[in-house]
Amino acid sequence: MAYLLQQLLTDSAARAPERPAVAVGERSLSYHELDRLSNQVARALVAQGVAPGDRVGILAPKSAAAVVAVYGALKAGACYVPLDPKSPAPRLTAIMADSGIAVVLADQATAGQAVGLADSVPQLRAVVVTGPHWGRAAAAGPESEPGPRDPVVVPWDAVLAEPDEAVADGQAIDADLAYILYTSGSTGTPKGVMISHRASLTFVEWAASCTGLTEQDRVCSPAPLHFDLSVFDVFASCQATACMAVVPEMTAMFPARLAQWIERDRISVWYSVPSVLTMLVTYGNLRGFDLSGLRTIIFAGEVFPAKHLNGLMAELPHARFLNWYGPTETNVCTWYEVPAGTTGLTAPVPIGRACANTDAFAVTDAGGRVSKPGDEGELYVRGSGLMRGYWGDPAKTGRMLVGNPFQSAHDELAYRTGDLVTLDDEGNFVFLGRRDGMVKTRGYRVELGEVETALYGHPAVREAVVLPVPDELLGSRLRAFISAEGELTREEVLDHCRRRLPAYMVPDVVEFCAALPRTSTGKIDRALLAGT
Amino acid sequence: MEAVINDYISRELVQDASLLPLENTTQLLETGILDSLSLLRLVIFVQEQFGIVVDDLDLVPEHFASVDDICSYLRSVSGGKAGQASARG
Repeated sequence: MAYLLQQLLTDSAARAPERPAVAVGERSLSYHELDRLSNQVARALVAQGVAPGDRVGILAPKSAAAVVAVYGALKAGACYVPLDPKSPAPRLTAIMADSGIAVVLADQATAGQAVGLADSVPQLRAVVVTGPHWGRAAAAGPESEPGPRDPVVVPWDAVLAEPDEAVADGQAIDADLAYILYTSGSTGTPKGVMISHRASLTFVEWAASCTGLTEQDRVCSPAPLHFDLSVFDVFASCQATACMAVVPEMTAMFPARLAQWIERDRISVWYSVPSVLTMLVTYGNLRGFDLSGLRTIIFAGEVFPAKHLNGLMAELPHARFLNWYGPTETNVCTWYEVPAGTTGLTAPVPIGRACANTDAFAVTDAGGRVSKPGDEGELYVRGSGLMRGYWGDPAKTGRMLVGNPFQSAHDELAYRTGDLVTLDDEGNFVFLGRRDGMVKTRGYRVELGEVETALYGHPAVREAVVLPVPDELLGSRLRAFISAEGELTREEVLDHCRRRLPAYMVPDVVEFCAALPRTSTGKIDRALLAGT
Repeated sequence: MEAVINDYISRELVQDASLLPLENTTQLLETGILDSLSLLRLVIFVQEQFGIVVDDLDLVPEHFASVDDICSYLRSVSGGKAGQASARG
């Protein structure tokens, strides 16, 4: 019985060594190869001084190399921290400094970028290149000779020279951290959600069972590693000895190409945010392809507009449609299966009921339990799938992981999701909205406060407010209102944001006001601005 | 037409300022200027600006690799119409 995520791999490699574990187009790694390569990565990390409990960064797009890196880091006893190669450098260095990353796993193309981060992250001492490369060429590195403070670069050839036997698991237990996922933070800096092996396995075991994954399945999620949807394809596939298929980035962008790829790569289980599916049904020419092998479609991360879900279900009437719900802090905590044959939905589908070994309940403002349709309250979650807390922030952890208000006999923690819900007639939870300033865009969490903090970082910004504008395709678009001192252009504002924030957090609309309107209590009048 | 599209991409879609000024031959996909989101914004802009409809099956990498490629594609579907619109805008 696996109690550490990497044991899913060693078990599958022992059971079915020749089955494909990761496929990228025509190429694939078998479970045996993935197991051996990740052993070598683990040994290379240990040789660089990585000890159990250390945080190791992974700076790579989703690929076979990234999966080797994930398992390599775990086998070294480390906790991995995904770093999005597309994020601006200041955000990456903030995450690396916060989590104390001294060693980064990069691929051929991102190794130079990783070395470049050392200027702002003095503790970075080694960059270990992971593989296989499979056509990802090395990016042009810096021309200058390495300086005395530059990190050691361990090339893939050197990793392959390591013995490929397993590193002993040591004293690792399931409460140890497996990974830290950074999400938007309302005070202006991203916060690290700590997930243990036990919490992740609680989700992985439920997810593999809920979808009925088998060795025959080919599973795909286009979500990058830093997005918690990737936990499903990276680990649940492995639990079931299924094959994780990586969609080429260029293919995922072009809906009809994506539909063609799903047909040719015989994808049987798909997991993504709704906006990708909306693009697929709107621009994918789905009738032109044979998608009869696509048996299960899972969506999560934001509300799926009913119109587009209707369209997708009409195009793929044979498939199961599952709505999975859960903040990163809880993995997936509730789920809903859209009944087969459903047509003409006029409202978003419910978020459903709690997953196995998880409990979800909602608390009204008066402190009672939401127990019937019409009641409204905040959703709380308890169970072994919960995060351990926020890295280095016990105060924030204490505000979000709170005592279960309905358990007086002993201490027990529950996570406050901040999501307002009600119940439908069948006892399913229905999502109503947020309590705070968090919005979703393409499934990503955006704390409006983090965008506002970035705007205030510009010397000419006197006041700034960011508001969400609902958008069918994106979930939300971001509208910034700014009162500036002196001359400030929209281009300058956007350029400033792009240097500090990931693309999905950069405002879509920038409007200038002489002064921002105030309420009678002197606060910026967000409601008035939202109505303009 | 090249100028209108180059200007739109430069103003709205380029995240990395080191890629500016944008050449009409700059590889929009390899450099990551176009991703799934920015591609869709560009398609909507092009449709509104030039009054054409980009067919599902025309939404392929070959047509969106560079500003020049976008313009040759647009001319191939609706040369006269697109030319007029670009002269106005």
